[in-house]
Amino acid sequence: MPKRQRDVQGLGLAALNRLAGSKALDKLGLKKPTEKALYQASRTGFKVAGTAGRQFKAVKNLLSPARMDKHQPTDLFDLTPTEEQAMMVESVRRFAEQALRPAAEDAEKHSEIAEEVWSGAFELGLSLMAVPEALGGAGSERSPISSALVAEALAWGDMGQALALMAPVGVANALAAWGNSDQQMRYLAAFAEDDPPDAALALLEPTALADPTRPGCHGQRDGNSAHWRISGEKALVPLGPFADLLVVSADLDGLGPRLVLIQGDSRGLSAKPEPAMGLRAASLGRVVLDQVRVAESDILGDEQAFQQAIALARLGWCALAVGTCQAVLDYVIPYVNERKAFGEPVSHRQGVAFTVANMGLELDAMRLMMWRATARAEQGQDFQREAALAHRYCADKAMQIGSDGVQMLGGHGYVKEHPVERWYRDLRAIANLEGGLLL
Amino acid sequence: MKALVPIKRVVDYNVRIRVKGDGTGVDLNGVKMSVNPFDEIANEAALKLKEAGVISEVVVVTIGTAKAEDQLRSELARGADRGIHVVTDEEIQPLQAARILAELVKRENADVVIAGKQAIDDDNNQTPQMLATLLDWPQATFASDIKIDGGKATVQREIDAGAETLEVDLPAVISADLRLNEPRFIKLPDIMKAKRKPLDKVELSEFDIDVPKLEVVSTSNPPAREPGRMVKSVEELVAALKDKGLV
Repeated sequence: MPKRQRDVQGLGLAALNRLAGSKALDKLGLKKPTEKALYQASRTGFKVAGTAGRQFKAVKNLLSPARMDKHQPTDLFDLTPTEEQAMMVESVRRFAEQALRPAAEDAEKHSEIAEEVWSGAFELGLSLMAVPEALGGAGSERSPISSALVAEALAWGDMGQALALMAPVGVANALAAWGNSDQQMRYLAAFAEDDPPDAALALLEPTALADPTRPGCHGQRDGNSAHWRISGEKALVPLGPFADLLVVSADLDGLGPRLVLIQGDSRGLSAKPEPAMGLRAASLGRVVLDQVRVAESDILGDEQAFQQAIALARLGWCALAVGTCQAVLDYVIPYVNERKAFGEPVSHRQGVAFTVANMGLELDAMRLMMWRATARAEQGQDFQREAALAHRYCADKAMQIGSDGVQMLGGHGYVKEHPVERWYRDLRAIANLEGGLLL
Repeated sequence: MKALVPIKRVVDYNVRIRVKGDGTGVDLNGVKMSVNPFDEIANEAALKLKEAGVISEVVVVTIGTAKAEDQLRSELARGADRGIHVVTDEEIQPLQAARILAELVKRENADVVIAGKQAIDDDNNQTPQMLATLLDWPQATFASDIKIDGGKATVQREIDAGAETLEVDLPAVISADLRLNEPRFIKLPDIMKAKRKPLDKVELSEFDIDVPKLEVVSTSNPPAREPGRMVKSVEELVAALKDKGLV
């Protein structure tokens, strides 16, 4: 704009801006009042400009309101689950509500899932969906998104049981994605049978600064043969104490980090319960490998598969976090609206209302980050970065939402009469655990 | 033996419904819709009878918008053999529904209709009864147990005084009450299979449903209950009741 045409308001603002930036004002202690003057000057200035505005008059005759054409949707950003996915969620959610929720307390107490819950989950077809039709299953496509939606719906019922149910599904997913035909015939078909194997992905190690991308479990080459002897420890493995099949990460001499299939009865493998703060229903266990001999044919996939397994496991944790946080939110909202203190619902207090609103906001963000990373995985794009971000975010926010959930119930939050304290203890796991399940 | 099971798309039972601001009805915007729970029970009853070898085919029917197909698919996934969708955007009232169903029963040559006793959206509890009358079939409503044997159905129903057992000749209309059964979970592999099950679409204009309609004058929330008052003694209670002119 040429200087000449600068209007009065502009000149005034320029002068005041120079004044506000001056160090002399600071010294004189005059900065605050001047800034205030600046603010007011601009406000009144704009007001004047507004009231002295132009005249509007109709320039065209319209018979009906003019609307722009609807933007043609593309499938680049569409988060609507397919019809089948929506029905799956509906069905799993019902199972979670009617089978998992009522069994949660007992499962935690006994550190084990009830037999009828296992059989119910099998009836539902959880593991069948992970096995291709050619091997007797019902899976026609591999979809991490569908797995995520199922994990989310199960966790809404109970996170501990959801983890135990999803752990074998995770191993089946891994076999379906990376297993060669021998491995698939030997192991994967079993997941479509009546009593599917207890299986889990064992990545986490009980060492300080454990990094799943650099497994401490080490496989020493057994002489010159294509065999290795693996030694090391895996921590907090779901179904660990009685697993029939484990997918273990280990650093193999001459190959680098790999996933290895190890049967529960292998020589040198031992396991014992490792009870934790939460997730007791998942029968977490410590697995010790002492010179467990594995052959080349036991190696599952290549190094990329190993890397992807870590990320897909993290997304599994995110899905469990999202489902459990949804349960917390669904429990807390009616509670704060019905619970009365000082003659009115506690939700009338801003301390409560703002907290619940934040829980809802964070939960949506967690879900979107998880879905984005999972969608990339499904499309075959790089997704490790997105998965790591989602995992980090879910770890923080899930803990916060769990804690806030307890807090919103006041003293009731601390007692076992309400499930929120258990959910909080379960949600603390997101930040600590790796592996276990795989989308 | 062929069973016809009518189902309705309704607001999910978990949803707390909201009345529209202008009082013209219930706000359905963004509200989760599901199969009417009594209809799920009816379908489950039919499927159990099929598994027992009594019924040979279960046909589920719905009358509603294009979206009602979701509900039809979910009952197909539960196990029904075939679906019929009468497509309409019009709001269908009980007598119209009963007329459409009567026509479909004749077309399909159905031997028994097992319906939910009522839909949880308008709670009319009329369609099965009207259907039985239009067909001139016997009816057994509010069933809590159904047995079919040799051209007769034995139906137990819950009444105020306890349980009542009825025997009706088939063909008949049976309506399902809450305690008849607990519907099975829909199996995930069956959701995929349901896509391949036959589903016929029928135009509403094929049916004679020109009947007088009820007009909804207004819809409103139930009046808020006034808070109660605590009294310390019987005397105070009697005085308060007298005050209100109640005794």
